[in-house]
Amino acid sequence: MKFADILASLIHDMKNSLGMVINTLEELSGDTLAGLPAQHKVTVLQQEAKRLSNNLIELLTLYKIENERISANIEEWNLSDFLEEIVAENQVSAAAREVRLESECDADLSGYFDEGLLRGVINSLIGNGLRYTQTRLLLTAGQEDGYLVFKVADDGAGFPEEMLRAQQARANGESLAEGRTQLGIYFAEMVATLHRSRDKRGFIRIANGCLLAGGCFSIWLP
Amino acid sequence: MEVPVSGVNFTRQDIEKKSFLIVDDFADMRNMLKGMLQLIGVAEIDSAANGKDAVSAMEQRRYDIVLCDYNLGPAKNGQQVLEEARHRDLIGLGSIFVMITAENTRDMVMGAVEYEPDSYLTKPFTKDLLKARLDKLIARKKDLEDVDRAVRQRSLVEAIRLLDAKISEGSKNLSELQRLKAELCYRVGEYQQAEAIYQQVLSVREMPWARLGLGKVLFSSKRYPEARLLFEALLQENERLTAAYDWLARTLRMLEQSQEAQKILQRAVELSPKAILRQKALADLALENQDDETAERALDQAVRLGRHSVYRHPSLHARLAKTKSRNGSNSAGLKVLKNMRQEFGADQEAELYCCMAEGVIQQDLGNAAAAAASLEKAALLYQKLDLHANPEATLEMAQTCGQMGDPQRAEELIRELVRNNHSEEQFLRQVGGVMRGLGLQADPENFIAEIKREIVHLNNRGVELAREGKLKEAVGLFEEAVEGMPGNRVVNLNTARVLIIFMQRHGVEPARLGKARQYLERVRLMEPENPALRKVDEMYRELASQSAEASGSA
Repeated sequence: MKFADILASLIHDMKNSLGMVINTLEELSGDTLAGLPAQHKVTVLQQEAKRLSNNLIELLTLYKIENERISANIEEWNLSDFLEEIVAENQVSAAAREVRLESECDADLSGYFDEGLLRGVINSLIGNGLRYTQTRLLLTAGQEDGYLVFKVADDGAGFPEEMLRAQQARANGESLAEGRTQLGIYFAEMVATLHRSRDKRGFIRIANGCLLAGGCFSIWLP
Repeated sequence: MEVPVSGVNFTRQDIEKKSFLIVDDFADMRNMLKGMLQLIGVAEIDSAANGKDAVSAMEQRRYDIVLCDYNLGPAKNGQQVLEEARHRDLIGLGSIFVMITAENTRDMVMGAVEYEPDSYLTKPFTKDLLKARLDKLIARKKDLEDVDRAVRQRSLVEAIRLLDAKISEGSKNLSELQRLKAELCYRVGEYQQAEAIYQQVLSVREMPWARLGLGKVLFSSKRYPEARLLFEALLQENERLTAAYDWLARTLRMLEQSQEAQKILQRAVELSPKAILRQKALADLALENQDDETAERALDQAVRLGRHSVYRHPSLHARLAKTKSRNGSNSAGLKVLKNMRQEFGADQEAELYCCMAEGVIQQDLGNAAAAAASLEKAALLYQKLDLHANPEATLEMAQTCGQMGDPQRAEELIRELVRNNHSEEQFLRQVGGVMRGLGLQADPENFIAEIKREIVHLNNRGVELAREGKLKEAVGLFEEAVEGMPGNRVVNLNTARVLIIFMQRHGVEPARLGKARQYLERVRLMEPENPALRKVDEMYRELASQSAEASGSA
């Protein structure tokens, strides 16, 4: 057994334990602690555990992508249903930070993507967004220029200039995440490029001041 | 603290009223799921720790929603629980089955052959996600309630009509409706309509399910070379799409490339070893290719997996025993039979298979008396169980007789088999393989083709007579023919058809009407979804209701 395989199997195990922790915490804050001061602390624990869990899922997925054990399982999904599920899943964490988490999407639109992979990416973008935003976090999905586009926008300070500049330089094929330790961005990019249709490939973009005042991360899928 | 969730909450009432069954082998996980459901407001929650308990819980009570983990320890897995629940109709008409998977088993689970759950949920998930998913599934089930009912009542044409109405209304899940419609069109034999839908989907976007559907249409329309190219291309892009391997193997077999077909199935079995039907198909091919080692391995798996499955069948055990014996171990073969008797108890069909295998093995051991006794017992059981209409059992019987020095009886049975199944090309191919193995006839394919020609000729003459208006002669001809081949679907259908046309002309007679119904029932037993059956059924119903009206007004 190679070290990477051992690592993957351990991560898998950790992730399951963490799932148990998260849900037990949820039960605690749901009934026993309702209204007590300790509830806030439990919520903080819950959020950190979720962050950890998202990170582990990213790691595991990346491991599988690298080992070519994964290919995007593309199916058609209703976009508003998909975003509503994600909002529901993250509502408690958002509320704890007093952030308004919402989705906006035409109820009849559908798109083609790997639901599990995209859920992972957007969850982790929300996790990041919750740390950088002021009051709101907005998820949208729709068609643009022949691509299916998911956006996660916040009203925080936005992405730093150097990151935007790096994106400009990307015209010559350089990866946005290259040379950085930003696992979240790297993960999103890997997942986007797993989506292919005919001769087009998925990609990611960052921008400031679209939708809301702060940063806006978008995933473009063919 | 309550932040309004965008979207709908009107289903909240619904979910609280549903009854749930949780199936997971870990007590912690069961408790966690139960806790989540309680927080959602669900009151009726049962749980089961393994597949066996889950099935007996479902026998006791009809659940609205089953949340089942895929990994359930050493015995049944989640897929097998689902198969048994749906196959035995243990979960009701609008009930929901959610398969819970760890992300590392998802690929494996997706290789399911026959039954698919309503949704897959990958661990870990939160209470809120679970609720959102269940709300959506409940709403969807409600939307398709009438279609579902029509399908269960086998009124597929009605189901298609209902789907058409929904499609023209425009719906949120249009593509799901299209997919369902194409599948139903395929099942009732409306291949052109199914093909049109798949082509339309594919013109917008490459979707593996639509490509696979199109391939099935090509296969069933006997366009084998096209089907082959399609499945090969599909597998290039989706190497884990196990269903495509199954269909490619079937196609190659029809193209007389059994070696190639076996290789393809071996790859599918490596990817997804738990599908019993696939192991059985591999064993069939290996036996045809005289690769007894592969056959033994596949049959071993099929028998082992079958222990917990609705696909368990004594023919698998019997073939395993015989294969082990051919591979040099008669004692291992006899041991399989011993276990088989324990497993099946008083099941007489199982005993028949057991005796057939026993005869062959005893003969190989040189125990002539024991062999003859087994064969005699098998022949008695075969008569008693009236298995002439069961092609599998008859073929096995023919093979046994052939191997035990009674080629005449073997040929007799095979002639009967071909006469009863003259239009089943896949099966006839298998019959040809058995004949070659037994050394019956110099040219088995020609032998089969001649019998086929005879029946086709007979059929055509009957149809011709009916067309010329000589209905009495046509009825006479078909009634005589069906006497000689009671298991032949085409002949049964045609006999019913000319009887009905005769009565349309000359008035209904209760005795003739009863006969027509009997022929239709025979076909329904053998192949409930036979497309031609549906049409003759309609003719029959119309005639029966007319005659009821006539006698009512008289």
